[in-house]
Amino acid sequence: MIDQLPEPFAHLTPYRHWAHSTEDARMRQRLNASMSEITDYYQTLLPEIDPIAKHLDQWSLAEIPADHKELLYMAMMFMETAMCVEFFYEPDVPEALGAEHMEVFAGRSEQLVNS
Amino acid sequence: MNNNARPFAADYPEIGTGPVPTAPAVDPAFFELEREKIFRKMWINMILREEDLPRPGDYFVRDIEVLDASVIVVRGEDGKLRAMHNVCSHRGNRLVRDQAGSCKGFQCDFHGWVYNNQGELAFVTDEQRFHNLDKPNLGLTKVHLDTWRGFVYVNLEETPSQSLEESMADFNEDLKPYPFEKMVLAGRYRYEAKANWKTTMNAFQESYHAAFVHKRSVRQCLDDDADPYLASQRIKLQPNGNQSISVHLPPHDLTPTEMIAYSMGATFTQGGDGNVNSFPGTAQEGIENWAFDLNIMFPFSRINVGAGWYYVDAFWPIAHDRTVYELAFYFPMPTSAGAMISQEYSKIVLRDLSREDLFTNEVTHNALRSGAIKSIQLSDQEIAVRHQYEKVTEFCR
Repeated sequence: MIDQLPEPFAHLTPYRHWAHSTEDARMRQRLNASMSEITDYYQTLLPEIDPIAKHLDQWSLAEIPADHKELLYMAMMFMETAMCVEFFYEPDVPEALGAEHMEVFAGRSEQLVNS
Repeated sequence: MNNNARPFAADYPEIGTGPVPTAPAVDPAFFELEREKIFRKMWINMILREEDLPRPGDYFVRDIEVLDASVIVVRGEDGKLRAMHNVCSHRGNRLVRDQAGSCKGFQCDFHGWVYNNQGELAFVTDEQRFHNLDKPNLGLTKVHLDTWRGFVYVNLEETPSQSLEESMADFNEDLKPYPFEKMVLAGRYRYEAKANWKTTMNAFQESYHAAFVHKRSVRQCLDDDADPYLASQRIKLQPNGNQSISVHLPPHDLTPTEMIAYSMGATFTQGGDGNVNSFPGTAQEGIENWAFDLNIMFPFSRINVGAGWYYVDAFWPIAHDRTVYELAFYFPMPTSAGAMISQEYSKIVLRDLSREDLFTNEVTHNALRSGAIKSIQLSDQEIAVRHQYEKVTEFCR
C-alpha cells in the first residue's frame, strides 16, 4: 500500500481504513462503528463525493488504477454512513431483522472492479 | 387523484370484502397442502438470467427446500441450457456442493461417477464389477426448464400442468416489453425470516404500511399531507393469482446523499422526479408520480420494474414458520465510478428497508400464532393480500 491516497485526495488518507472492496464488508464495518465515527466520516466525505466521482470518471470502471480504487470504495462507504446519519440516527437499522440473518452477495460491477 | 376511496373491490366481486381467516398462515397442516397443491406445480423463478451462464460448462445450483430438491442449471457443450436434479444416479448422493462455477462435467465424491455438462453419465469407476449398467439411461434426472425474457425458470412436476408462458398470463402483455436486457445484477441479498411465507410476503403487496414500517428509511418520501398512505392508483389481479401493484412516490426534498445519487443515475426513491424517460412494460403512463410496479407471479416470486432499474425477489417457503427472502437488484452496468457510486445508494436503501419489513413480518407471525385473532381485516388498498389468501385457499381445496 502506498503511503498516501492519490492527489487531490491525500488529505483523506486518515480515513482509508473505511475503504473496503465489497458491499458486505462495508456494511459490517458500518454496523460495528460508533455513531460518532460514522458522523465524522459522513461529514468529512460529503463534500468529496462529487469530486471523487469526477476524478475517477476519467477512467472506465474496468480501468481505474489500483491505487485509485480505495477512493471508489470510500465513496461507496459514504453511502452506508449516509443511511445512519440522514435516516436512522444509529449505526444499524432500528426495528429491523438482525443483520446476522442476512447475506450480501456481489453484483457484476463489484466483481469487475475487484477482478 | 381518485375520489373513490375503495376503487378496486368492485372489479373483483368474487373475492369479497369480509375478514380473512388466519389459519392458512399459521397451520402446519395447511403448509403441507400448499407444498403438494401449489409449490410442486409452479414454475420456479431461479433468480438467474440466461446471460449469467454465458459459456458451455457454466452452472448454477439452487436448493428448493420446500420440495426437498436441489437443482443444477448448466449450459451444455452444445450451448443449450438444461436443468437436472443434483443427485447422483448411482446411490443418490448430492453431486455438486458449490453454488456456481464452470466445468466440463461433474464428479460425485462418493464413488467418483462422472457426468458431462449435458447431464449424461460419462464415466463409471471400476465399471467392470457392475451388472448390466444401462448407462445411456443413467444420466442425471431431468428437470423442466424454460425461459421468459431471459429469466430462467424450472418446474418440478413430472409433466407441467401449464407452460411458463401460460403461467405468466397478463405479464406477456403488461411486463414483457420492459428492457431487462439493458441491465445486469448490481447486488443480491438473502434474509432468513421466522415467519410463514404469506405473512412475510403480505407487507410487500401494499404501500399502506410504508408510513409506519418505513417511517425512517424513506422518511423524505412520506411527507405529502394529501397522500400520507401512498394509496395505490393501480392494482391488477389476475385469475391465476398473478398480481400487479403500482407504487408512486411524490416529489420530495432530496436528502444531501439522495441528491448526489440522483445527479449520477436513477434511484430507488426518485418516484415522480424520475419519470424523464419512458419505460415500456410498466404502468408509468397512467400513474401520477409513478415510482415502480410490483409484479407478483403466483405464488411467491416477483419482477418489480422501475424507471432505470428493476429487482427480482422471492419469498422461498422453507417450513410453515420459516421463509427465505431473496432479492436481486438490477441496474445498467455502470461504465463510470459515478454511476456505480449512485447505484450503491439505491442498493443500500432497498437492502436496509427490506429488513424493516421482515422484522415486522416476524412479529406479526408470532402474534398470529397466539391465536388471539382468527381473521384479519383488509382495506381496499390491501386487496392483493386478500386475493392471495383467496387463491391459495382455492388451490388447496
